[in-house]
Amino acid sequence: MAQLTLSGITKSFGTTTVIHGVDLKVEDGEFVVFVGPSGCGKSTLLRIIAGLEEVTSGMIAIDGEDVSRLPASERGLAMVFQSYALYPHMSVYKNMAFALENMGLKTPDIDQRVRRAATMLRLTDYLDRKPKALSGGQRQRVAIGRAIVRDPKIFLFDEPLSNLDAELRVATRKELAGLHAELGGTMIYVTHDQVEAMTLADRIVVLQGGRIEQIGTPLDLYNAPDNLFVAGFIGSPRMNLLPARISGPGTVAVGEDGQVVETGIVAPLKPGATVTLGIRPEHIALAKNGEAGLTMTIDLVERLGGESYLYGSAPGLPQITVRLDGQTSHGRGDSVTIRLPIAHQHVFNEAGKAMGRQ
Amino acid sequence: MATSPSTERRTAAGLLWTPFAALIKLIDLPMRAVQRLIGERRMAYVFLLPNLLFFSLFVFVPLIVNVVFSVTGGAALFPSERPFVGTGQYAYLFDCGSFLDPNSCREDHFWRGVANTARFTLFQVVAMVLFSLVTAVVLNMRIKARGFFRAVYFFPVLLSPVVVALTWKWILQRDGLLNAGITALGGERILFFVDPSWAMFWAVFVSIWAHMGFYTLILLAGLQAIPADLYEAAEMDATPRWRAFWCITLPLLWPNMVVVIVLALIKGVQTFDEVFVLTGGGPGTATLMVVQYIYETAFSNQVQNFGLAAAASVVLGVVLFTLTLAQLAASRRKDA
Repeated sequence: MAQLTLSGITKSFGTTTVIHGVDLKVEDGEFVVFVGPSGCGKSTLLRIIAGLEEVTSGMIAIDGEDVSRLPASERGLAMVFQSYALYPHMSVYKNMAFALENMGLKTPDIDQRVRRAATMLRLTDYLDRKPKALSGGQRQRVAIGRAIVRDPKIFLFDEPLSNLDAELRVATRKELAGLHAELGGTMIYVTHDQVEAMTLADRIVVLQGGRIEQIGTPLDLYNAPDNLFVAGFIGSPRMNLLPARISGPGTVAVGEDGQVVETGIVAPLKPGATVTLGIRPEHIALAKNGEAGLTMTIDLVERLGGESYLYGSAPGLPQITVRLDGQTSHGRGDSVTIRLPIAHQHVFNEAGKAMGRQ
Repeated sequence: MATSPSTERRTAAGLLWTPFAALIKLIDLPMRAVQRLIGERRMAYVFLLPNLLFFSLFVFVPLIVNVVFSVTGGAALFPSERPFVGTGQYAYLFDCGSFLDPNSCREDHFWRGVANTARFTLFQVVAMVLFSLVTAVVLNMRIKARGFFRAVYFFPVLLSPVVVALTWKWILQRDGLLNAGITALGGERILFFVDPSWAMFWAVFVSIWAHMGFYTLILLAGLQAIPADLYEAAEMDATPRWRAFWCITLPLLWPNMVVVIVLALIKGVQTFDEVFVLTGGGPGTATLMVVQYIYETAFSNQVQNFGLAAAASVVLGVVLFTLTLAQLAASRRKDA
């Protein structure tokens, strides 16, 4: 297990720079997830760490040792690929033993390691099968097993669950979390699925356009997003982001009809300044009779049994999503007033940066 | 009244289209009638029929005529005038003291042809597969001017075998380009087509030069079909390059290799034109191939022995049929 340090990592393909000076430190035994939309550079960054892509500038250090110019084979890392990348002509056993043979281990040692990993991953009954005779989940486990047997310094996962169906993805996600707890290894995991990121990570690195937007624990990112991008990306359903203007001390006006909403901004913004008011669907409540709030018309109601989602609109505002506990009686076309509790509000300035609260 | 360019284009297109439309209408009428008569499902056979007729005329009929010739004797051309000899021609061909010694056979030329063809095919296939594999691997790497080199290696495939053979003959003959180079460097002329070993060597060499591009293409396609992430996984597994080639590339390329081997075998057994133009089968019978034997026995010898040539053709046909079955089996396994 090892510590990883990235210092000023830049990657360019010709004249196009895809990673812009990334700095990051991953602690020994930590599970770090790189998350971001397609094309944000998360897989490229992972491949740079693996040694499958050359770094244009900057330094990669494992346990303090600069490995930037070392080939992948000499970095002592293991990677689980999105496509699994299992050798199709080799049995499960041989797939797992292949790297150990490269290391020059003796047959009894290889056998012991492969069988231990197979037991851990419930693959013992499939050791003689070829990958094509396995299900997607089993293949994924073989790919993980191939990484485990090597006892690598760092495990790298490149969107390993994206080829699995929804049910299997949840099951494998739990297995991965259990595996991390069991092995205690340093793991770096790439995904575009923020639910995976939230459930697996000790810390999440949110990337966009080859830059780190924010690093933090899942709840840090959820509770205190640094900027509009992170606010919109983390959380499902996504945070409601409402364009607004400062209307007075501690208040903003939203929508075409300038409905006034109390907020707790402390930053010195003049009345009329443009801001974005953010609030998560689960933090919005329906106002009781006579309570002040924002009025919206319901366009759609989704009743999931234990919870309901209202999708509404107000003049000049994007769609507003409200999550309610239980089974609501409201229907399409109803007009409701919603409360936006100050404690759960996020306010972003014109540049998209989060502003302080009272 | 002036017409716009677009109107003129429409008029020109209309003029071209009119005869086509008329032709389609002309075909359409009887086809509708046939479809009504036999039903839509059986119409596929109607469309296959014209080609099948030509195929039968130029392949099946000669095939049958050939078998008829092989069981008849004499010098007459028409089967009706040829006396039935049963398996006599085959018995004559196979009348051998030892099949490994052509001199012990009554029809020693045939067996010399068989031995030469076997030797030619063996060397050609082994060398062809090796060179094609190495070339394909190199052309699959990220080298400069890769497209250019791929075209260069494929170019000889486009040439006629006779052109290939004549070109190399000019290079290799007594006063050819190669000997001019050797003498210019102070060496002595080598009579490539007089020495049996040299003649066979160049026959194999020229055949490889002419056809390697095709087999390289098959192997290159196979190499490109191997997912790149397998090599990345191998790199992460700290796999040495030679082991990645031996344990990943070769096994995954094997179905393509089998196709190449069988196709090269078939091509080798069929060899005629290149070697015939290059060496004429000589010196003596050193490069005489089976097909050349058949050709000469039937058409260029003073006594034209159609029956014997036909029997040799049938024997060759059986060998080729077996190899084709092997090729089909290999292709099926590759697609599976």
